[in-house]
Amino acid sequence: MAANKGQGRSFAVFLLGATVACAGLATWSGGMGKLLLIVGLVLVAAGLMMALSIKPLEGKPAYRPGGEGGKFMGGLLAALGWMVTVVGIQFVTSTSGRILLALVGIATSLFGIVVVLPAAFNKNAIWKT
Amino acid sequence: MKLARSCVLTLLLCAAATLAVSAAARAQAAPAAPAPAAQTPAPPSAAELKDAVGKAPPATAMQQGDPGGSITGTINDVPVADSKTGITAADVASLAGQNKIAINFVWTLITGFLVMFMQAGFAMVEAGLCRVKNANHTYMMNFFVYGCGLLAYWLIGFAIQMGGAAGNTNLGGLAPLSGEHSVALFGKTWGLFGAAGMFLAGHSYDVGVMVIFLFEMVFMDTALTIVTGACAERWKFFTFAVSSVLMGALTYPLFGNWAWGGGWLAQLGTNLGLGKGYCDFAGSGVVHAVGGITALAVCLIIGPRIGKFNRDGSSNMIIGHDISAVLIGCFILAFGWFGFNPGSTLGASTNGNLRIGSIAVNTMLAGCTGTFGALLYMWILKGKPDASMSGNGLLAGLVAITAPSGFVSAPGAAIIGLVAGVLVCLSVAFIENVMKVDDPVGAISVHGTNGLWGVLSVGLFADGTSNYGGSWNGVTGSVTGLFYGDASQLAAQLVGISTLLGFVFTFSYALNYVLEYFVGHRVSAATEVQGLDIPEMGQLGYPEFVLTPEPDILRQAERQFAVA
Repeated sequence: MAANKGQGRSFAVFLLGATVACAGLATWSGGMGKLLLIVGLVLVAAGLMMALSIKPLEGKPAYRPGGEGGKFMGGLLAALGWMVTVVGIQFVTSTSGRILLALVGIATSLFGIVVVLPAAFNKNAIWKT
Repeated sequence: MKLARSCVLTLLLCAAATLAVSAAARAQAAPAAPAPAAQTPAPPSAAELKDAVGKAPPATAMQQGDPGGSITGTINDVPVADSKTGITAADVASLAGQNKIAINFVWTLITGFLVMFMQAGFAMVEAGLCRVKNANHTYMMNFFVYGCGLLAYWLIGFAIQMGGAAGNTNLGGLAPLSGEHSVALFGKTWGLFGAAGMFLAGHSYDVGVMVIFLFEMVFMDTALTIVTGACAERWKFFTFAVSSVLMGALTYPLFGNWAWGGGWLAQLGTNLGLGKGYCDFAGSGVVHAVGGITALAVCLIIGPRIGKFNRDGSSNMIIGHDISAVLIGCFILAFGWFGFNPGSTLGASTNGNLRIGSIAVNTMLAGCTGTFGALLYMWILKGKPDASMSGNGLLAGLVAITAPSGFVSAPGAAIIGLVAGVLVCLSVAFIENVMKVDDPVGAISVHGTNGLWGVLSVGLFADGTSNYGGSWNGVTGSVTGLFYGDASQLAAQLVGISTLLGFVFTFSYALNYVLEYFVGHRVSAATEVQGLDIPEMGQLGYPEFVLTPEPDILRQAERQFAVA
């Protein structure tokens, strides 16, 4: 089963929830704003839960789980590289120092994105069988 | 003979005399009298204005028709505040101000319409590079991403990105957009996200706000559509829609605020003295790198197409079904880019906006040299002037020039484009053969890699000659790169690149990982083998085509994964 009515209903509930939640944020200072936000978020969650319930019926995709540790670590390294840059430039005042720091941060992020994550995702890749 | 000799001598004597006289006149030229001190011209008096009204063509003359346009548009067309008083200098000044804003509105809107048309170009390029059994699905993703992005942006995305963008004098000030949320850190104030402009209601129901909404929205949609190409041929339509809504609501607007909406990246100049802060004239980073990097995040999660890689890791070429669509799509994109880059002045009147011609030429040149870079690379190294890579070379050049287009010279633009054309070929090979990431259209390389190159090239090639109102990002002076004497601008650009890789990638990755749990990105193996058109869309893209069999290697892989 590919595209189906269940997906359509789930998407509609998700969109309705997003709209109501945003209306809540837009009218935050008014009395109804907070209520609308809560109702909206509940609808968004309901839409996602509806999608989760029909997911097993949609057939098996061509990939296998695995490498969760690497998948997490790669993302973490990418974020860490950014933190190194953003925090570091506050404490290093010379231009060359800031350039060097930014390059270190970029290299760290790239290591996570280009080396760690592909290795994790390709660990149990379907094309290796 | 004697007569001839006399004539020649006479002529020579005359010439010599003329020269002598003129030389003497120059030598004896009295020194110029000192110029009188500049005087501020007095405003026209009420009497002068009344006199001008009297001299305007009368109604009887207008009734005769004006085929040459010489009497249409006169002082009588100036709106007056008080009909009893008649026209005043204040009326004339008000009209001048309105005209400036009107010119800028029209410019921004027309260029925004051009950018919107790029959606058609993206659709053709992406669908043309995919197999015919996925054509309907690929076209539909590019069609529906427009609606998904627009809805998300109207609900909240615009507010997050531009909610604090007040102060733009090109569009009348945008005063209603004064809701930037900031945080105080390390003794400075840093903008994080905006809050004004949700639903374009309340105070945001403003003529200037409407113009900037349209313009920024079409840029946002360009970023969203990039992801559809990279994930084509196996992305569930439902998940694509949800992912696009989230990207239009959160991912893109956040980085957009930091770069263009008064956020912390733009403030690197005022807060830390890093050049003019992060500079991105038309969006190599904000649009293309955000799109390409998000595409990479989703591609990693979604995995390669069935049959793309062999057991030993070598890759198979999966050829697109319509190269004519690809190349025509590239031309549509190149045309739309004349709105993308020159339109980013947000005006054609005052504040240095007459540089629009220079920006347009830079755009053309970079696209041209990008094509040459890719085509020659493929021709020399692979033996053929590959059509799809040539198209990607054009796009790579256009992507790379997007950020520096308003700050560089024509030779600089040509160099940037040439590097981009070669870079896209190298990047495609790296992503496919080293990272083992499958990208059917090369979107990650065209937009991600070259988007980052474009951001970097501002820090290198910006030549300091632009003058958009005397400052940029609140820092006096012109944007100047390393090659023209300002290394601190390079530092600001590197911080932007780090943010794209470290924040945008991680945020997109996390968001789509959550979606993977709830919704699942990839269609079933059976659906993928069959082609997404029927199972996902209910109809073939070309119902009357006779489909030829796929190559053996793909059919072997498909048999392995086919569900009986």
